[in-house]
Amino acid sequence: MKRRRAAAAVALVTVAAAGIWPAAALAHGLVGRADLPIPPYLFGWAASIVLVVSFIALAALWKQPRLEDARERRIFDMPRMVDPLCGLIGVALFGIAIYAGLDGTKESNQNLLPNLVYVHFWVGFVLASVILGDVFRVFNPWRAIARAVGWVSGRLGIRSPLRREYPEKLGRWPAVAGILGFAWLELVYTQKANPRILVWISIGYAVVQLAAMAVYGVERWTQDGDAFSVYFNLFSRISVFVKRGRTVYLRPLLSGVTDMPLKPGSVALLCAAIGSTTFDGASNGPLWASLNPDLQSFFKTLGASANVKIELAGTVGLAACVAAVGLFYHLGVRGMRTVGRGHTTRELARRFAHTLVPIMFAYALAHYFSLLIYQGQAAGYLASNPLGNGSNLFGTAHWGINYGVISGAGIWYVQVGALIAGHVSGLTLAHDRALTVYQRLRDATRSQYWMLVVMVGFTSLGLWLLSAVRGAG
Amino acid sequence: MSQQGRKIAAGLAVLVALSGLLVAGCGTGAKLTKGPVHIVVKNAKPVGGVKDITVKKGKPVGFSVTSDVADEIHVHGYNYHKDVKKGGTISFDFPAKIDGNFVIELESRSEQIASLTVEP
Repeated sequence: MKRRRAAAAVALVTVAAAGIWPAAALAHGLVGRADLPIPPYLFGWAASIVLVVSFIALAALWKQPRLEDARERRIFDMPRMVDPLCGLIGVALFGIAIYAGLDGTKESNQNLLPNLVYVHFWVGFVLASVILGDVFRVFNPWRAIARAVGWVSGRLGIRSPLRREYPEKLGRWPAVAGILGFAWLELVYTQKANPRILVWISIGYAVVQLAAMAVYGVERWTQDGDAFSVYFNLFSRISVFVKRGRTVYLRPLLSGVTDMPLKPGSVALLCAAIGSTTFDGASNGPLWASLNPDLQSFFKTLGASANVKIELAGTVGLAACVAAVGLFYHLGVRGMRTVGRGHTTRELARRFAHTLVPIMFAYALAHYFSLLIYQGQAAGYLASNPLGNGSNLFGTAHWGINYGVISGAGIWYVQVGALIAGHVSGLTLAHDRALTVYQRLRDATRSQYWMLVVMVGFTSLGLWLLSAVRGAG
Repeated sequence: MSQQGRKIAAGLAVLVALSGLLVAGCGTGAKLTKGPVHIVVKNAKPVGGVKDITVKKGKPVGFSVTSDVADEIHVHGYNYHKDVKKGGTISFDFPAKIDGNFVIELESRSEQIASLTVEP
């Protein structure tokens, strides 16, 4: 009963939110062009496809897990030089970006650092990871530095005197903190694109990573502590490629997601990532446009200054979105627990957490695709003029951003396509996992009604965040 | 189908109906801007708030700005810049070649004065 009431409340809020036009706002700080909301007809089509696909998925269930323990096929060995070379490229890029942040123009659009951080790094690696596998691992500048230092000190026979065992209880919580911190920086902080501030945050982050690697070991910290390594690794699990040592293997699409490590913080990490993208969408929408002024004036009465009140309101919004996503997933898992006996909510929440990975990718792609495709082109002029001081190293400094590379309708199709594909992938993974969790096929199927509600909920939310339906009335 | 399954099927049916209703209840989107748009800037702020200009792709965009402060008017995305003198008026006239939502602002003050929407 309680659950149904909660669902009714969600529906009410949704309906109430429709009725106010979305305020035109520029997302992400750097962009010159904001996406148009998905038109109602496309929303209708997408929502219908999602529901039809869901019912077909239930009808056409397979009886044996297909993705769990899928076989990998060896393709080729990477030359020994690839790892250090890519590491060197990563360190060089990081160095140039830091230099641009310290010495370049304060005009964020003309400075390499903010573009590299928010566009090519944060969004580019997501797409690259899904297509090519865990590419960030080889380009990761702090891992490369730490490995080089480790190699040299190993030769000299020096062992870090600080070495400790990584506390298992800590799990992936450092990464959760890192992802939330980055989301706050990108979506809430008013000085997000200021190169002078961003540069010190970047340096600070790198220093913390290097220190933590010195204490807990390079690989151990990269695996669970470094927010970006953990984050991009999750996306890379969707990919058909995986590199172990120097050998590259081919595996079925999505099968890597099923081995997602289950550690303290694993579920929180996914909820943090999905929740922050949700806030990114919601903060451009009508619900936030109506709540935000009230929140800001509330913080003003507490004595907050102009920027601080904006940031406090944003912090509340971000936290609320992350909490809502977490709560929604938790409710779905609670429902699943009523099926078959002997599974705790906690256990189920962790065993099904990996099904959120494709949803996370769908959200990220739907929200950031146009940023990557348009603002990503800034790489052209920034390569020649990274500091924005008029240099023209490669003769490309006059290049601009061509907003004609893809039409507005093209962006809509990518967004809708991403959400539907994420939905289908999530359902597929959930069913596959249910077959291994529940002994009886009937229980596995019944448990999936709940996951279906979770998936339909996330996909509808994703569509709604991007659609004009929210603003019509 | 189990009882639970039926409940969920019912829930989903409601969802279909709801989204159908929402879609049916929607208009065709924003209203297109008719006639020339004139934006008046007073005390470095647009009078009457941020103006919405909505056109179909391929159609001309035309607007003029009268400002009581000297600044540069910047149409983002299209990257058109024009200086306006204190108390002066300037006008823009260009074809809407790129679809999307664009900010028009007083560049040095980062004050948005209009929002240009070009529908595909």
